[in-house]
Parts: sequence; structure tokens; C-alpha cells
Amino acid sequence: MKGIMRFSVLAVLTAVLVLAGCGGGSQQATTGEPETIHIALTAPITGDWSEYGVNFRRSVEMGIDYLNANGGVLGRQLRLSVGDTGGSPQEAATLAQRWTSDPTIVAQIGSFSSSEAMAAQPIFDSEGMVQLSPTASHTGFAPGSEWSFGIVGTQAAEGPFMANFAYNDLGLRRIAVLHLNNDWGIDTARHFSDAFTRLGGEIVRTEFYFDGERDFTAVLTRLAATNADGFFMASFFNDGAAIARQKERIGWDVAFLGPSSLYSPQLIELGGTAVDGLKTNVSFFGDDPDPRIQAYVSEFQQRFNARPNFHAALAYDAIILLADAIERAGSTDRQAIRDALAQTRDFPGLTGSITFTPAGDAVKEYRRLWVNSGRFEIWEG
Amino acid sequence: MELKQMLRRIPTLLGSARATMAAFSVRYRMPLVLLLLVGIVAFPHVITGPYYIRVATIMGIYVILASSLNIIIGFTGLFSLGHAAFYGIGAYTSALLATQAGVSFWIALPAAGLVAAAFGALIGVATLRLRAVFLAFTTLGFGEITRIVILNWRSFTRGPLGIAGIPVPRFFGTPFTRVSYWYLVAGLAVITVLAVYRVYHSRIGRALVAIREDELAARSMGIHVFGYKVLAFTMACFFAGIAGSFFAHFQRFISADSFLNTESFTIITMVALGGTGSIVGAVVGAVILTLLPEMFRFLVEFRMVLYGLILIMVIVLKPGGIVGVKGVFEKPKSRRKPWIVEKLTRKPTIPDTTQPQGGTL
Repeated sequence: MKGIMRFSVLAVLTAVLVLAGCGGGSQQATTGEPETIHIALTAPITGDWSEYGVNFRRSVEMGIDYLNANGGVLGRQLRLSVGDTGGSPQEAATLAQRWTSDPTIVAQIGSFSSSEAMAAQPIFDSEGMVQLSPTASHTGFAPGSEWSFGIVGTQAAEGPFMANFAYNDLGLRRIAVLHLNNDWGIDTARHFSDAFTRLGGEIVRTEFYFDGERDFTAVLTRLAATNADGFFMASFFNDGAAIARQKERIGWDVAFLGPSSLYSPQLIELGGTAVDGLKTNVSFFGDDPDPRIQAYVSEFQQRFNARPNFHAALAYDAIILLADAIERAGSTDRQAIRDALAQTRDFPGLTGSITFTPAGDAVKEYRRLWVNSGRFEIWEG
Repeated sequence: MELKQMLRRIPTLLGSARATMAAFSVRYRMPLVLLLLVGIVAFPHVITGPYYIRVATIMGIYVILASSLNIIIGFTGLFSLGHAAFYGIGAYTSALLATQAGVSFWIALPAAGLVAAAFGALIGVATLRLRAVFLAFTTLGFGEITRIVILNWRSFTRGPLGIAGIPVPRFFGTPFTRVSYWYLVAGLAVITVLAVYRVYHSRIGRALVAIREDELAARSMGIHVFGYKVLAFTMACFFAGIAGSFFAHFQRFISADSFLNTESFTIITMVALGGTGSIVGAVVGAVILTLLPEMFRFLVEFRMVLYGLILIMVIVLKPGGIVGVKGVFEKPKSRRKPWIVEKLTRKPTIPDTTQPQGGTL
């Protein structure tokens, strides 16, 4: 029985510790000044996705500083609490519980991945708090709850745009597809393929690869053996650059294109001349002469000594959009904020104008983009 | 006093604290058990914050996982790096039964345990003939294979899309609330700890410890080493499957991201920190390593640095784990063996004539 006894002693001691911890925690929660509007950010600040999480925090902090310097929202200053998920869906859900239990928090931005956002969704849904994810693009995310909103836009709109680009502008008829095997990659490949087939084109072969793979020559050789006149790759820029290099090495000379996730200065750094001629699209173009975009890019560069990418710009849009919704709601009531956010029409974001579908997905505008002699340029036809 | 001297005294102080605690617990055994049960029942009514109840519930899941892994690592001395795979198999079994076949949670829960146990037995039979680091490699590999199968077998597991909309369990028609989740996980954790306790103090447990201490001696005493290893593995996987089933119905969305190898490492760390081979140790490890990252949340990116520092401190100051019998960080001690091994390997009374005797020719 010695084991059980020791267990009991320790359990009691732990219980005391927990109680002590809880006491401290709840005190902290109530000391917030009533004058501020408290917003939470959930992001993978550490772990495999930390690059995205850190950019989320930078952008949201920049947005809050901008808003506070311009009189705040409803005449009150904004205050931010940041929670790190480390990329774990379970931690995202724990944070959701933490945010929703804190009565001072009015809405939440995050998280980065669809897995994190969807693990947290049941909690935001039952407690009633806005879950505004800058990047979650899983087709089940926004329709899963009336409290969930996604502003990246789903592949349901981007896929047909790229299919149209390929079929009508580039005159491609037979396309081979390679996609990253995750929720996003599957969706991207499926929506593009469906739309391209509907236009009258043919998908001659579809292959996939796993996150972390570095050697694509086997799948590329299989795709090159088809009579395809075009190649669509549903990848992020780092994989995209490697795929382009290996495609060049095996001598497969064919028109190639991919979704907006390929747009990053690093694509050209890593891909060199192999990515020349790549067609993609963009909702946020860092070299856009639009003064608002230039102001954002230069401030971001000045503050963090890094160039913002699409994901960072989406997080900036998220905080500005949320502040706008609170202003329109005229109160910090969680339900009122949700209703105002759902009413968003033609909100002028850095990543294009944002209008929500009834399900809570943003309808985005896309612009044709291509790599021309080592530079991203708007494609003029 | 010099810092070095002070540091050197810490283990002694901890040791005497432990002795005092042990004496205290002997004297007040029943009141303490009662106090613990009252604590479990009263907890969600005293601390009503949903966040705290959730953290406690997650803690319960890890208590089950760490206690069950302790059967493999602590009692039997095998190093399995694939516990998250069985946790995931349990979660997917339960989630698929509930969403695809409409099976009630109360049937899905034991089914998940059984499926995970079946996989445990299968993997055990295939790999348990391997020793030490080779077993660690194969179980690590199995964890990765499980992840890849979940991602690839899209028609069955929905691949990377994960399984959403897992129903909330019902108890006589009433849907579960936060409090019912806590009571269920606390109940499951208590059952797991009791079961592990019963196993440890049974013939099976003694056989497992004998295998851990000296496999050859155990075999020579007639213990079916391989059979007992597979049994230990299967039992541990059963509880991991139960934990997985609970997790799936608690979080209501699962994807392969929740069952990565890092999850296995977290569970092993819990066992090692608490004290390998100690029933209480696994519980303590699970509790501490769930609470620490939550308590230090305000540090954001430095949170995990602190977590690492605390682990290093335990390794340096108390290599056997906080309440450990024999730790993975500890150098093997050959002087003192548990009583069972001493009994089993005691020198025979008849002089051994097979060995050459000193002085004779």
C-alpha cells in the first residue's frame, strides 16, 4: 500500500499548489483596466511554424500601435494578450478556453494552421467568441461555426481563378498536378483540377508528396512521362523552389504555375533561374505602388528588419478588420462584434477587399503574377 | 556556505523530506485517500473556471498515458518511443466509430482500448525480441508509420483533413458538460493507477521487475520473458487507447498533428521526471509537466526554455526522478536489487560444482 499512500500525499500537495496557482491566475485576470479593449492572439510563436507565428505577432502589434496612435477603438485603447501554441492543436484549444474564460477579452485572432483552428473551434462556438483566423483555409473551418471567420479565402475561389488563367490566358489543355499532402494541398489541387476540367481541359496525372520531402525527381519523372503541356504545383515557396530546380535538372521543359503560396522573395532566392516564367497569383503584392501597402512594408522592415510576406499581411488585415467591426458594433459585446464582423462588405484590406460569405469565408480578389528574369511582376498578358 | 556545498545537500534534503512524507502517509493513509477523493469530487465546484477545469482534464489524460507507459519503461525496463501512436490509434478508432458508424461513446471507449491493445500485441510480437536501443528505434519507426498511414489512407481517416464533429458523449441522454468530462477522466485515471498498482503487486508485476533487473536470471527462474514483455506492452497500449478515445471525444476534432512523435517524448519525459518504475512518479510527472507550461504561459517564447531548465535540474540533482525507484538518467546500480530479484537469485545452498573452485585443481 506504500505506493497509494505516497500517491495520496503528493496528490494533496499538488492540489494545494494548483489552488495557489489558480488564485494568482484569477487575480491577474481582473486587474485589467476597464478603459482598454482586450484582444487575444493565438499563434505558433515556437515550434515548426514559428516563422509564421512570429510574423503574426509582429503584424498584430503593429496594427494595435497604429490604432492606438489614432485614437483607439470606440475612444478606448487596445490591449493584446499573446498565447503560444507551439503548433499543437491541443494547446490551441486550451488557449481558447483561457481566452473565453477571461471576461475582459472580447475577440480572438488565430491560429495559424487549420488543425489548430479546428481543435479550438468547438470551444469558441460553445462559449461564443469570435475566432478570426488570418490563414486557416480548411473548407470545413469557417462553415463549422457561426463564430469562425477566415480571411485568407478558400481554394474554392482561387482554384477556378488559376484554372481560368491556365486555360484561357496561357492556352494550356493538358495539365499534370503535384500537391503537398496536407489539408491545404489536397483542397488546392482538387479545386484547381475540378475547375480546369469544367473549362474543357484535362488533368493527365496527379501526384503528391509529404511535408519535409526534399527529393522530387521520382514524382517529377513520372509526371514528365505524360503528354502534359502544363504543370501545376500546389506547394509553398520553399518546396516550390526545390521542385522547380529538380524539374529543370531532369529537363522537363513545360509551362508551370501554382497558387499564391508560392509568392515570396525566397522563391527566387532559392529557385534562381529555374523559377523564371512561373505563373502564380497574389492578393498581397509587396512591390505594389499602393501607398498603404508601401507604408506597411516599410514600417515592417524598419521595425523588424524583415520583409513582410502574404501571411504577415493577412494578420495585419485581421486586426484592422476586427477593430473596424468593433467600431461598427458600437460596443465590446462578443455577440455584437460577431454580428458586425459577419456584415463586413468590401473592407479595404492590404490583401485585397474583404467580404464574408454567409459561412464566414472571405471572398478575395486575385491578380495574375509571374516571375520575369528574377523578379515578380504583375502579368499583363 | 558555499554554493557547491548547498547544491550537494539538496538531494539529502529531498530524501529526508521524502522519508518524512512517507512516514506521514503511513500514519494517515485512509484520511489521505479520502481527502484525495473528496478533492476530485469537489474540484470543479470549488474552482469553476472552465480554463482550469480543462487544464485539469488534460492532466488526467496525461496521468493515464504516463502511468501506462510506466508499465513498459518503468516496470519491464523496455524503451518504447511509440506511445503516441497507440494513443492516436485509440483516438481514431473511437472517432471513426462515432462519426461513421454512429456508435455510442460508451462502446467506442472500450473498443478503442481493445484495438490499441491489439496493435500493441502485434507490434510487441514483432519487435520485442529486440533489445535496448533497437527496440527504441523500431517503436519510433512505428510512431512515424502510424502518422503516415493516417495521412495517406484518405478514404478511411480523411487524411490530413482530420476528423471534425466528433459527438459529445451522453450519459443517460444528458450531453456531457465540462464537469462530467472531468469526473470521467478522473475516474479513468484512478482506475488506470489502481490497475497499474494491482499489476505491479501481482505475480505479473514481479515477473516484469525480474525481467527489468536481470533478464537472464528471470529466464533461468522459468519466467517466460517474451510472453511477459508482450503482455506488458499490450496492457500499456490498452490504456493509451482509452486515453485516445477520451481525448477524441473531449477535443471533438482530431488530426495527425495531435499524435506526433513529440507527443511520445512528452509522455516519456513525464515518466522519467516523476521517477521511472514508480507508480506515484508517473502521476507526479504528468501533473507537473502539464501544469508547468501552463503556469509559465506569460513568458510566451521563453516558456519552453524554463521547462528545459527544470528538466535539467531534475536530471542533475535527482537522476532517479522526483519519486523514482530507478531512473533512466541514473547509472545502473549493481549493489542493491529489489527484494524479489535478491530472492530469486539468492545463492543456492548446494555448492556450485560447475564452476572451478579457487584453490583446487
